[in-house]
Amino acid sequence: MYRAQPMTHDLDQQLEALVGKPISDSGATFAPDAVNQPMIRHWAAAFEDANPIHVDASAAAESRFGEIVAPPLMLQTWTMATPKITGIAERGGSPVEGSRAKVLTLLDEAGFVGTLASNSEFEIMRYLRLGDVVSATTVLESVSPPKQTRLGSGYFVTWITTYTVASETADEETVGLQRFRIFKFKPGAAS
Amino acid sequence: MSLPATIDPATLHIGDSLPEWAIDINATRIVAGAIATRDFMPVHHDRTYANTQGAPDVFMNILSDTAYTSRYLTDWAGPNAMVRKVAIRLGVPVFPGHTLTYTGEIAALDIGDSETTVEITLRAVNELGEHVGGTATLSLPNVATS
Repeated sequence: MYRAQPMTHDLDQQLEALVGKPISDSGATFAPDAVNQPMIRHWAAAFEDANPIHVDASAAAESRFGEIVAPPLMLQTWTMATPKITGIAERGGSPVEGSRAKVLTLLDEAGFVGTLASNSEFEIMRYLRLGDVVSATTVLESVSPPKQTRLGSGYFVTWITTYTVASETADEETVGLQRFRIFKFKPGAAS
Repeated sequence: MSLPATIDPATLHIGDSLPEWAIDINATRIVAGAIATRDFMPVHHDRTYANTQGAPDVFMNILSDTAYTSRYLTDWAGPNAMVRKVAIRLGVPVFPGHTLTYTGEIAALDIGDSETTVEITLRAVNELGEHVGGTATLSLPNVATS
């Protein structure tokens, strides 16, 4: 059973205040590169995924997609931050300096520095085509009450990302949604 | 190459099992998957760092899990299958030396005019227990009959 500690009540209130809001103040995250064949080929090779619609133009042309398309669950990869390798371990694995999601900064500063992904849920509206430029907007959906697990004490943090592609005609087109949940914990503090 | 065949949804039934698929995981697969998904968290490529986080070795990242899950689905269904939804939860970690074994079962079929929606429950287990559990939805083009 969880027993509140003096700091925790404040922390819970601060976490609660972030729910329903964008996880950072910096707005949408834009993919640094358009959907492209070299990154798709690298991905397909890493997972030995032989589906030809991702790498073979003539096979893809025969498919329902009509052209080369990116692996659907590669969606999250396009907007991942380009890492600064120097100091990455010292930053607890954070790929870039600054610009962390506020909820993560808050939990890190309270000692919940461990991070483990626990759930990933995708809904795909359409497959990405070469040249698509993806942007991602992420909203904090929920923060759980404090939990004790075998890893330690911590919080399950869930956010929802809407992935869009700029359209020549009008509005941005939503190409996919992702609900992503991580556990932020104090390593080794299991009881 | 010409396009390989895609499964005819008329041949599917609720309760059918997908073929089991096992893949041997080593450090190279884990690191290759992490970098191909642009996940540079050191726990996925640096064993010394992973040790400081209480893990005995590097372990697979969740973006690789979704990748292998989609591969499992489309290796079975074929290239004209469209992955509409995948929802996975992670259990035990995957370390080098583990064998990851996927199984799946058709949970629901919704036959439309031009395509059939197939709902699948799936799991992937290793030596430690259940690594991935979840559900997926594919759409498969109906094969015209005359």
